Amino acid sequence: MALIKRARWLRGYGAKCPWVIGGLLAAYPLSRLAAQGTEGLAGLATRFAAFTAVSGYEQAVTDSLVALLPGSTRDRAGNVVLTLGVGRGGPKRLAVCPLDEPGYVVGNITDDGYLTLRRVGRSPSTPAAPAWALFDQQLEGQRVTLFGRKGPVPGVVAVKSVHLQRGRPAAAEQPFTVDDAYVDVGAATRDEARALGLEVLAPVALTKRPLRYGSGLIAAPSAGRRSACAALAAAALAQPQVRGTVVVAFTVQSLQSSDAGLSSVKRLLGPFDQVSVADVPAKFPGTAVETVALSDVAGAMRKLVEWIGGGR
Amino acid sequence: MRASDGRTVGRSDGMLVLAGALLLSISPTVRLSGQDTSRISEAQIVLSALVESYGVSGAEGPVRETVKRLLPAWVKTDTDSAGNLWVRLGQGDPVVVFVAHLDEIGFLVDSILGDGTLTLRARGGFFHSLFEGQAALVHTARGDVPGVFLPRDSAFTRHTPPPLRVDVGAGTRAAALALGVTAGSTVTMLKQYLRLAGTRATGRSFDDRVGDAAQILALRHLDRTKLKHTVIFIWSTREEIGLEGAAAAAAALGTTPRRVHAIDTFVSADSPLERPNFAVAPLGRGAVARAADNSAITPPAYVDSLVAVAQARHIAFQVGTTNGGNDGSTFTPYGVPDVALGWPLRYSHSPVEVVDLRDVASLADLVQALVEIW
Repeated sequence: MALIKRARWLRGYGAKCPWVIGGLLAAYPLSRLAAQGTEGLAGLATRFAAFTAVSGYEQAVTDSLVALLPGSTRDRAGNVVLTLGVGRGGPKRLAVCPLDEPGYVVGNITDDGYLTLRRVGRSPSTPAAPAWALFDQQLEGQRVTLFGRKGPVPGVVAVKSVHLQRGRPAAAEQPFTVDDAYVDVGAATRDEARALGLEVLAPVALTKRPLRYGSGLIAAPSAGRRSACAALAAAALAQPQVRGTVVVAFTVQSLQSSDAGLSSVKRLLGPFDQVSVADVPAKFPGTAVETVALSDVAGAMRKLVEWIGGGR
Repeated sequence: MRASDGRTVGRSDGMLVLAGALLLSISPTVRLSGQDTSRISEAQIVLSALVESYGVSGAEGPVRETVKRLLPAWVKTDTDSAGNLWVRLGQGDPVVVFVAHLDEIGFLVDSILGDGTLTLRARGGFFHSLFEGQAALVHTARGDVPGVFLPRDSAFTRHTPPPLRVDVGAGTRAAALALGVTAGSTVTMLKQYLRLAGTRATGRSFDDRVGDAAQILALRHLDRTKLKHTVIFIWSTREEIGLEGAAAAAAALGTTPRRVHAIDTFVSADSPLERPNFAVAPLGRGAVARAADNSAITPPAYVDSLVAVAQARHIAFQVGTTNGGNDGSTFTPYGVPDVALGWPLRYSHSPVEVVDLRDVASLADLVQALVEIW
């Protein structure tokens, strides 16, 4: 519970001083991560699990990554790339992790200040099979964060009051879908919602509150792919031996049909002799409690360090 | 308020990383409340402390202690064998009772399976789908144990989940027991009071922590020189599972009280998902007379008196009818009229109940006025 109390304090402070976040990331010394061992990696994995990067709207996270990884840049597609072993020639290899997550953007604002949503990261016309069939239902009656022009705005997704269903025919057992989602930010009119910096296309996602539980487990939405990115970042921060040239890339828009981020990296910086995609196994994939084991994150990091050094 | 249909629905560097993680992990801003009036600020301070205390029906101890801490120093409290907290003021007839409940919906651990997961029994009525696939807290004698409400198998796509279980990551029954988890431990979700735009706020268990807060705020501001009769404030237990604490209090008082004011949620249809054919009490327009619900009806003359008191003190006030039961109804078999009051609440018994703090302040003002001038 002490951790929770500290988080409350930091949240309030961060709200007043958003520069603190960037400052902390930028000031974080290179190569310290490896020295900290598992707990340092746990911190990094937790931090990555707290990121929100709705597919196509990843810029805030890529800003943080550029600050975290000295020497990294953002390419014109929005990917964060870092080249290890510059000038060493071949082989030229690519270590990559997709950064984005399925989510939503504001689709409309009603007269009475509610915001309705459009899903992104899965095409509505040709939907890819979600990792969990009830992905949208996880919105119902839960907290969300809207990323407006003036910063993050907390909201909740409306749900029927259980008391008011009494005496009425039983509700249909159709799952909740994004079309049922009305986001309540406390605004009573469209103008009040706009005054918060909210407009059509503002990214929206379940509020991220990574949970540490059990023996070295982390639960959060998209924890698997975020932990994979944490492992890749940790591997790069560990200043590993490099065989040839290795491009480390954190790619955007992987959930769009074109996989635009990865395709761009290959075209802009390739061709590559070999590609390794960072991966961490996850339980309950696609849910708000997608769970990874820190031991698996550490294992993924070790494999990536070896691979960057030329091992298989 | 009871859902009466019973529907079950390297230290410094490490800290630096941790600090960054925490800053980023909680992305919404907490809205500054610099423009709040002192009434709103005080309501928020009291309410947030109550909302962030845990107390599933039958395990209200932490909430009761929070109430005691928030009461003014001059107040003397007693706790009865049902767990109700009592405050008695004034002398003589008539005896007037105010009652708000301490408990919240949640679960009890029913059993611990061989793989260390926990089967659950619901306490109160709510949609179980709102807990599925969310973070869980198991409250044990040795502290809170985090876990997750297990999501169902992906192929099972009806709205209502199968019976929920919690995984605390133990792996075995013995390991779960070693964490302090036992059959009978209560289970909830992590709660946090959060300010929304304007004077709105969200959290879980505003039902009935707003009622608890209104009674505390009324006592804080009460002009005791105006007390002309006996007033009893009760913070009751086990409302959500059948008004049990209030029933014990009503039995103890018998026919003595002249009237009882249940201070509990007015579940509002002020939502795009609800039908506006009743329960229409918009947020931000003041406290509400719960003139008729599923457990009691306030005699019309008493409703008129409520309106008169509110007008005399210039308190924003609405009159309506909603669903649910209230603690005051346990007094009516003793000939005690139930003059129930509430405030409009959106999304009842969900993790994201929404209130308007102006309504909380109005409710507190009305309770104070009723003590002083009725």
